[in-house]
Amino acid sequence: MSQMSEHRTPVSIQGLAADDPHLAPAARHPRLVERVIALNFVVGLVLVIGFGACYWVNAAPWTLGATMGGGLFFLGVGLVAWGKYLMPRGPFVEERHPLASDEVERDAFAAAIVERGGGVVKRRKVLGGLLGGGLGAFGIVALFPLLRSLGPLPKGTLFHTDWRSGTFAVDSTGRRVSVGELAIGSIMTVFPEGLENTDRGQAVDQTILIRISNENFVTQKGRETWAPMGYLAYSKLCTHLGCPVGLYEQQLQLLVCPCHQSMFNATNGAIPEFGPAPRPLPQLPLYIDAQGYVRAQSDYHEPVGPGFWERS
Amino acid sequence: MKRVGAYVAAGLAALAPVVAFAGTAHAQTFSFTPYQTSRFDAGTPNSSVVVRNHHGVIISYGDSAIMYHAPSSTLDALGQALFLQNCASCHGDQANGIPANGTPGAYPNLIGLGPATIDFWIESGRMPAVDTAAVEAPRRPPRLTHDQALAIAAWVNSLDPSYPYIPSVNLKGANVADGAALFALNCAACHTIEGDGDALARGTYAPSLRNIPATQVAEAIRTGPANMPRFTGNLSDYQVRDIVKYVTTEIQHPRNPGGFGLGGLGPVAEGFVGLLLGVGLLALVGFWVGERQ
Amino acid sequence: MSDAVTTRRSRRQSRGPYGRLGSALNELDDRVGVAKGGRSFLDKIFPDHWSFMLGEIALYSFVVVLVTGVFLTLYYVPSQAIVTYHGSYLPLDGTSMTEAYASTVNLSFAVRAGLLMRQMHHWSADIFIGAIVVHMARVFFTGAFRKPRELNWTIGVTLLTLAIVNGFLGYSLPDDLVSGTGIRIAYSIILSVPLVGTYLAFFIFGGNFPGTAVIPRFFILHVLIVPALIVGLVGAHLFLLVRQKHTQFPGEGRTERNVVGSPMFPVFMAKTTGFMLIVAGVTALLGAFAQINPIWQFGPYEAARISYAVQPDWYMAFLDGALRIFPSWSFHSFGYTIPFEVTIPAVVFPGLLFGLAYAWPAIERRVTHDNALHNLLDRPSSRPKRTAAGVAVLAMLSMLFIASSTDVIANFFHVSLNTVLWTMRILVLVSPFVAYPIGYFIAKEIHATRGGGRRKTVNVVQRTASGEYVATPAPAYGDDVASELAPTPVPTFITPPEAVPPTDPGTRTVDR
Repeated sequence: MSQMSEHRTPVSIQGLAADDPHLAPAARHPRLVERVIALNFVVGLVLVIGFGACYWVNAAPWTLGATMGGGLFFLGVGLVAWGKYLMPRGPFVEERHPLASDEVERDAFAAAIVERGGGVVKRRKVLGGLLGGGLGAFGIVALFPLLRSLGPLPKGTLFHTDWRSGTFAVDSTGRRVSVGELAIGSIMTVFPEGLENTDRGQAVDQTILIRISNENFVTQKGRETWAPMGYLAYSKLCTHLGCPVGLYEQQLQLLVCPCHQSMFNATNGAIPEFGPAPRPLPQLPLYIDAQGYVRAQSDYHEPVGPGFWERS
Repeated sequence: MKRVGAYVAAGLAALAPVVAFAGTAHAQTFSFTPYQTSRFDAGTPNSSVVVRNHHGVIISYGDSAIMYHAPSSTLDALGQALFLQNCASCHGDQANGIPANGTPGAYPNLIGLGPATIDFWIESGRMPAVDTAAVEAPRRPPRLTHDQALAIAAWVNSLDPSYPYIPSVNLKGANVADGAALFALNCAACHTIEGDGDALARGTYAPSLRNIPATQVAEAIRTGPANMPRFTGNLSDYQVRDIVKYVTTEIQHPRNPGGFGLGGLGPVAEGFVGLLLGVGLLALVGFWVGERQ
Repeated sequence: MSDAVTTRRSRRQSRGPYGRLGSALNELDDRVGVAKGGRSFLDKIFPDHWSFMLGEIALYSFVVVLVTGVFLTLYYVPSQAIVTYHGSYLPLDGTSMTEAYASTVNLSFAVRAGLLMRQMHHWSADIFIGAIVVHMARVFFTGAFRKPRELNWTIGVTLLTLAIVNGFLGYSLPDDLVSGTGIRIAYSIILSVPLVGTYLAFFIFGGNFPGTAVIPRFFILHVLIVPALIVGLVGAHLFLLVRQKHTQFPGEGRTERNVVGSPMFPVFMAKTTGFMLIVAGVTALLGAFAQINPIWQFGPYEAARISYAVQPDWYMAFLDGALRIFPSWSFHSFGYTIPFEVTIPAVVFPGLLFGLAYAWPAIERRVTHDNALHNLLDRPSSRPKRTAAGVAVLAMLSMLFIASSTDVIANFFHVSLNTVLWTMRILVLVSPFVAYPIGYFIAKEIHATRGGGRRKTVNVVQRTASGEYVATPAPAYGDDVASELAPTPVPTFITPPEAVPPTDPGTRTVDR
């Protein structure tokens, strides 16, 4: 302990007299305000204890929040009021000293860097270059594998789905879809058989199957055999941002994306007719086999989902 | 690395005037009758329970989850009278969509739609229509009673008996968790995951499910009214029952353990509450804490 | 006995005049040297104007976010492993889901106070970002970003960016149907970046969507990396604020060379601590009574499922709105694609927006050629062009915000989506050009009125017996007196208020 403290006396008030209006409470009726603040603190205290009690008996969530929130709120209001009304009203002032140093200091600082650093580095340019090169190379070399190991290269994954010639269309439980199953105006989401429960099957291969008539339905030229018995299949991935286009209006024959309201004409090759989607939904060529199962003729003829750089 | 170089080259080359903007609006006109329900090739029901009357006509079919009943043929005469009174001015006195002096095809043909369709439209108050030119027939308090609706369904069905009959859902033993999953897969895309419905294309909308009786939920799933797709072979009676259970319990009576449900609008409502009640209220408190100089 | 008493007394004497606390401070000062700096810190002056509280809302809601977030990390499991839920929420019983979703449902229902903490966390995050925006608007419209505070403005804009990013990351963690859709959209936006988009997306997500690593990676970003950056930058923000001292509005006794207000201790400390409690209290009340993000209703995310009316949290809504209204312009050339319909609204536009925010102090300096140090604030009306520019940007952002709920508007007013979409396209483009002149002229008019923004002096009009009307200024209010006292330096210590007889404000002379 400091020896000097024994002989200290309290510091006296400097600057303001005790009855200076700056030191007066801001409230016109300090006694009343004091009582109101005390009431706030009491209510806050009771509520905070109530919070503990509610927690102890595991009461409904809203009671926990109400007691805790109310308690903190009243304590806070009381404390603010204390500071605002019962403490010196001010206003007080503080001088603002310029942050900038004087010119001598500035020059000395700059000189220290330029002269000292320059003197050392200029004479050893090769060393500096080597050090910089080494650290730079380390930066690049360290960054590259870090990025590279984060994930696989895209390669062709965005261009293909898992639909192949002869793949059975199954529903989300893995049941094969057969031809009597959908009435006209019906919709279902199908996946390539075996992939209905995988991430890739759900996220990439998801296909929307609708039935719009009893005959082969031609949506566009070159797709004469793609929709046997009115069974039409489109990729369920919106060409805008990849949301599932799960919304089918069977009278308007529109497929609608719930995210940004792109609308695709189901009877005309899913050409977008409203909203931000730029391309038609890719159509999956179907056939119906001898047992009456709905199967794919091939993969989609173009990449599914949203646009990306490498997509032609 | 070679490939990246190619991209750079191609990117620069793309600045050349060979620029193609693809994809715009393709407006197309539809011959579209507002309330049309598509024809329905239901065939004979292959349910586990099939009840026939003494003429060999199926009067009920179904299973432990849903039984479908045909409205009694004793109501036929009453039904015809009610139909002529309330429906024939548009649908024609033969219910074939040809009014006495109108153009065929302007109004829906009701023949062969099945009693469930007729019952749904009448009991949900959509028919008789208030405004036949509107894009959507809004749900209203029904103008006809339950028995009157059954009678009309009975008479229309007597013209050409067809399915589906009027479902009676047995919610005992329904699995609400399966119902929730099926709802998310099949219904939420239009009706939203909280069942509030939302606007669709060209002024149509998916209605809210907050106040719909179990029978009508099942009827809508099975018949696909207006723009709603129809769910037939792809949902079993047991699955429909699970969905109906989920809709009539969790959707219509959400537990909201976290407080007021904010109207089910999700982040839109939450944003308003957060900004107005949260930031706004606190800014007001700050207005009190600070001075106004 | 008497020996013991003397010892105690002498010990007390040896503590010096300020008792136990004083001696503890002495001990600390011996070792660290706190007295001089600490004293000037206690005397530090904080301006009292209410608009300076907006930044405090942000700071304290961030405290609430941190505290509740720590609670949540104790129960949340950042894993995409599939489990079967068997918990107290029956509508999900037997459903297979990721551990992330299952643990979020569990911490909502099975952990005591868990739901409250989750809701408070979400509400305070919403308030945090909202308060940042309001605070930023205050700083912008009053010109507080001018020299020497450009660096703190830059830090502030970075904080806003980080807060938005972390908000999105946190929104994604429960892995419910709604957040999963948000992640899917984010993936597609990254994919749309020209040249490197596919690589970026594959690296961030660990492969094609949904990848294998997104939840654990988002988790570590959300709870460690981004918060560490935010905490560091908040520290830097406050350090610069203390070092450069506050700005203040012009007024009685206020100059470029001083700061007028209340001292740190005790007045400001009482007010600000109380305000912190109020912020926490309001957040807890919202958490108690307003349900937010009921993920149990949404169900687990599966890529083939979707709900209509899915929206991001409010601070992302302007991006969603931009994505909705941007036309379907895709750019194809030489076998490559730039999805303009995504890249422009979701990458280029926010880049320009935040770039403009970063660059604004430099832009203004270039336009005004004003290189002076500014510690006194502008009134928004005294800088009509700046005010109008800010109003124009806010107007456009508000329109984009509204555009993010085109479907809700169409459903509510029973108009077609097509009408709403075209209306919003036009409004977004037109609104800044309408808002700018309106803002400009209103600011100019207010500036032109004499004494605009000042409190008006009340005149009492009396009719004399002869029928004449005489107007006399009414006596000043207490508030007038308080705010118009000439400021004085903080005294060494402050007398307790009881020592001062309460004065009648009406009788005090007003120093005008």
